[in-house]
Amino acid sequence: MGSRPWIFVSLILAALAALPVIVKSEYLLGILSVCFIYGIWAASWDFMSGLTGRENFGHALFIGAGAYTSAFLNARFALNPWWGLPAGAAMAVLLALVIGFPTLRLRGPYFALAMLAAATIMQRLTLIFWQYSGGEEGIPGLDPLLNSKIGIYYLCLAALVLTTAALLLLARSHGGLLLRGIRGDEAACQAAGIDVTFYKIAALVVSAACAGMGGVLYAHYQEAVTPDVFSVALSISLIIMVYVGGIGTIYGPAVGAILLALLPELLRGLGQYRLWAYSVVLIFILFFAPGGLVAPLWRRAVGLAR
Amino acid sequence: MSALLEVSALSKRFSGLVAVNEVSFSIAPGEITGILGPNGAGKTTLFNLLTGFLPIDGGEVRFDGHNLAGLAPHRIVNRGLARTFQLCRPFSGMSAFENVMVGCLAPRVRHREAPETRAREILAAVGLAHRAETKVDVLPYGDLRRLEIARALATRPRLLLLDEPFAGLGSSEIEPLSALIRALHRSEGLTILLIEHRLREFMQLVSRVIAMDFGRIIAVATPEDIVRHPLVIEAYIGRAEDDTTGDVLGTA
Repeated sequence: MGSRPWIFVSLILAALAALPVIVKSEYLLGILSVCFIYGIWAASWDFMSGLTGRENFGHALFIGAGAYTSAFLNARFALNPWWGLPAGAAMAVLLALVIGFPTLRLRGPYFALAMLAAATIMQRLTLIFWQYSGGEEGIPGLDPLLNSKIGIYYLCLAALVLTTAALLLLARSHGGLLLRGIRGDEAACQAAGIDVTFYKIAALVVSAACAGMGGVLYAHYQEAVTPDVFSVALSISLIIMVYVGGIGTIYGPAVGAILLALLPELLRGLGQYRLWAYSVVLIFILFFAPGGLVAPLWRRAVGLAR
Repeated sequence: MSALLEVSALSKRFSGLVAVNEVSFSIAPGEITGILGPNGAGKTTLFNLLTGFLPIDGGEVRFDGHNLAGLAPHRIVNRGLARTFQLCRPFSGMSAFENVMVGCLAPRVRHREAPETRAREILAAVGLAHRAETKVDVLPYGDLRRLEIARALATRPRLLLLDEPFAGLGSSEIEPLSALIRALHRSEGLTILLIEHRLREFMQLVSRVIAMDFGRIIAVATPEDIVRHPLVIEAYIGRAEDDTTGDVLGTA
């Protein structure tokens, strides 16, 4: 790779890092913090599903598991919120193993459906066990991870950059090559001596750990957690973000998620037509750029410059 | 000398249809053996049983003295028994080099030698060095057949099963590929078992032919003798509309 992509990346990161100095709006910084968290979620979805081709219709399961685990520890046991990051990731990994082991050894839609069902069931459980989970209200009054909005902005930015970089390195490693092989043809992968079930479960575990930590960041940013973190709507919107970003590229979905999470805010001036405009933009993107928008544009930008 | 592969009374049923019926044979190290038979004789099912892609209903497969029953396909490959598929199954979206890399990353071989180096060597050995960076989606069919063999070779097999390696190739492409298989056999000391349903390709390549029909072995002989075997002639000529008839007659 030439130096041009690195210059571009450095410029973008420098601009994002300088933003709090230039823009004093805590409101905007807050929105961007959430956008970065969406970026983590989309990139982590892409690592498992984009690379191996095994769609996950319930990524919110891992997000919610991280968010609720951390909320429980913080609100019920008054634990320091930073403990939520490893604990939330561990809970998400545990769920990934429980669902991955039986379903990822099978072909067909079992994994996708099991994820969808598990996320939905967890959302119902938060309502059924309302005495512990707070029901619709969720668990309010969580401690923030950092006290300043600017600090949280930098934390979320750093988490996104580190997660994306780590997932990109993994995707370009030998393991990532095998994951793409699994996407190409599972039987042929087995015939090449590869334990495809192991690699799929490993990819899901990595994906779940990142999503879970994103969920913890989200819970403590909101200083509350509600059953919405398990919602189908969240899972589906992440998949849309991945497709807009460019599936299988990791960085594309991360950027795509930021843009799509930002779009409703940018369209706020349109008032009641906001959601309508959002949907039209989405349909146009998916219709005219089936390979995604972010990754192909990025390749063209760095390719032309080289 | 003990057999490398020993198959005894191997059977497979698909809800009433007996696809492989009490098949027994053995393969000695260093041999090139062919499996001959009309379409539907059970050749590919036999391969799927040997390589763990289908569960065995009855009988036994012993490779290098070890029973393979119940082993997952990738474990069998890592014991040194690799296969190719009748229809090429490349990893689309990946380059020829990356396709071979997948085989070089099998646990059996990945710690012995740098996978990248080995992948380049194997691509060169099958004559695809100049295609290394080409995406498999645009490779011509003849090259895909070579790539299929290269990916299996990457796992450093002791026994290589080739499922119709010449399928879909024109006559001008068959001879070079046949030469490649002979070269691999000579240089790597590779034992080869290959399926073919046309006889002409067999004659120069294999030392022994196992003829199958309706899931059973009907004859085992040299290629010269197999074409005169009454049961083999019956299996082919018994169906006049079969397009392989002409091939057999032409060779016999």
